[in-house]
Amino acid sequence: MNTPIINIEHIARVYDMGGEKVHALRDVSLNIYPNEYIAIMGPSGSGKSTLMNILGCLDTPSSGIYNFKGLDVKQMDDNDLAEIRNREIGFVFQTFNLLPRATALKNVELPLVYSGISRSTRREMAITTLTEVGLGDRMLHKPNELSGGQRQRVAVARALVTKPSIILADEPTGNLDTKTGIEIMHLFQELWKRGNTIILVTHEEDIARHAHRIVRIRDGEVESDTTNSNPVYA
Amino acid sequence: MKISEFIETTRISFEALSSNKMRSFLTTLGVVIGIFFVVLMGWAINGLDSTLDKTFNAIGTDMLYVDKWNWSGGRNWRKIEARKDITYAQALEFCKRIKSAEVVMPQGRAWGRQVQFKNQLLNGITIMGVPYKYALTPSGNVTEGRFFSQFEDMNSADVAVIGYNVAKNLFPDSNSLGQTLKIGGRSFTIIGVVEKRGTFITDFMDNQCYIPLSSFFGIFGSTGRSISIAVKAGSEAQLDEVRSEAIGIMRGVRNTPPGEEDDFAINESQAFREESKTMRIAVYGIGLGLTALSFIVGMIGIMNIMFVTVTERTKEIGIRKALGATRASILVQFLTEAAALCFTGAVIAFIICSGVIYATVQIFELTFPPYIPPGLLLIATFVSILVGIIAGLIPAVRASRMNTVDALRYE
Repeated sequence: MNTPIINIEHIARVYDMGGEKVHALRDVSLNIYPNEYIAIMGPSGSGKSTLMNILGCLDTPSSGIYNFKGLDVKQMDDNDLAEIRNREIGFVFQTFNLLPRATALKNVELPLVYSGISRSTRREMAITTLTEVGLGDRMLHKPNELSGGQRQRVAVARALVTKPSIILADEPTGNLDTKTGIEIMHLFQELWKRGNTIILVTHEEDIARHAHRIVRIRDGEVESDTTNSNPVYA
Repeated sequence: MKISEFIETTRISFEALSSNKMRSFLTTLGVVIGIFFVVLMGWAINGLDSTLDKTFNAIGTDMLYVDKWNWSGGRNWRKIEARKDITYAQALEFCKRIKSAEVVMPQGRAWGRQVQFKNQLLNGITIMGVPYKYALTPSGNVTEGRFFSQFEDMNSADVAVIGYNVAKNLFPDSNSLGQTLKIGGRSFTIIGVVEKRGTFITDFMDNQCYIPLSSFFGIFGSTGRSISIAVKAGSEAQLDEVRSEAIGIMRGVRNTPPGEEDDFAINESQAFREESKTMRIAVYGIGLGLTALSFIVGMIGIMNIMFVTVTERTKEIGIRKALGATRASILVQFLTEAAALCFTGAVIAFIICSGVIYATVQIFELTFPPYIPPGLLLIATFVSILVGIIAGLIPAVRASRMNTVDALRYE
């Protein structure tokens, strides 16, 4: 197989909660390759959120090695991490995390603002991406004028617009009804087919079964790392 | 930080403000008041300066007036009052002896008199008895008609040249030339009107009537009054030379013993400059005090509301950071917002100020410019933005240092 986008070795994350040390992650090693569709599973408190934060460069490990496309993340400062998040990672959150006062279009443009892309190019790219996720006719609506599924599509468009190396989705269907959830999973499948790398963080078996590889986390360690030979197609 | 990002940030700032109009307005009120005072003070000083310049020119920057009285105070009043009058004879002697002056002439002055045109009375008029040469001083510029001639002067002709206010009050719509004016019971024919010279501090200059000195003595008498002597140096550069000669001659004429203080005054337009210094300090003091106070109050208000804004928008900060905003981006965003808040306040203040200034000029007929001086506008804008940046600094730093994960989790 080719070189991994993400290579982590023996990473741990320790929080200091008022003098008491909490080991959210104890020892996790993982390689993620281009165009993988991987689900990270685990019950709450397993450390999967911490792992996701570290993978998404929102947080840094206390120890261990993290290489993102061969770059040592531990050596990076705040600005480098911001740049990695901006260019290499597309986040999709459970609660959508859209800016409530901005239109769908503005929300999708936002990461491009921080890439320093000019206004007209920004607009063009955002329109293209929104059309791709099927929201070409809802671009000027604000989040509170959109349904849950539409909001999540905006969030997906926002994650895609910078053409990142990986898409990191944290419980993307958690706030959606089953039918809408399936629609979003279908969207991820389409993105994967087009060559995107997708990391799905979830505690739902039904959702995880869409992925081609399932990594189970328990008590801050990898419990199992299996290939899903029979993924569900949404 | 890229320029396109900064433009976007500025836009976001104004959007954030307009989404909370009432709160933004109330917050910026302190700044509005602060800028209001700054601008008003600046405008007043500016107007004062230009008025003073006009005053100096009206009096004549190369003019000296030898007089019993000092124009500017600060001296022992009793001592001045005890000075002997400058008699007409002394004045004539002085005029004869002085060599360095370009023009020199005695003049008589009667304060607070009444003049009458038909049934109309005008009080508080200063009657000036002057020789025909008065036309050569800046105070003798006539806009209508002419000044009296040497011939009229020598013959104590009953001709008068009137000040701007006298003409305006007695002849608002009609021509004053050729009309008959009663001064001290005697009828004078008006032959000229002097240009407007007075400003709000020297309004009395326009409430004067000029008649030949001999006619003046005919009405008011030549004894029992102090004559003043107008000396035109010719240029400002010659003032010092002329002043020292004038002092020497006057001491000689008045037999002032050596070692004793001068028992007369040499007045010049500089006296008004002294006076204006006190006024400037007063205006600056009051203005700066009020400004500083309102800026401090305004800053506290802005800092407070920025803390609230940052807390309210914790989640937004988390989202922005997750999408690639650097600390600097977040810092600049909130600084820009605070600056935009203050700038808006400044604009509101400018609008109010413009109204107040225009109304003030109209109502009090000031010679001040009826608008905010452009330089001042620039300074005030700069100050307002600076105030915003200072007030917004601590909240903005707090926002920029937020932990992304915690901020995202904030509800």
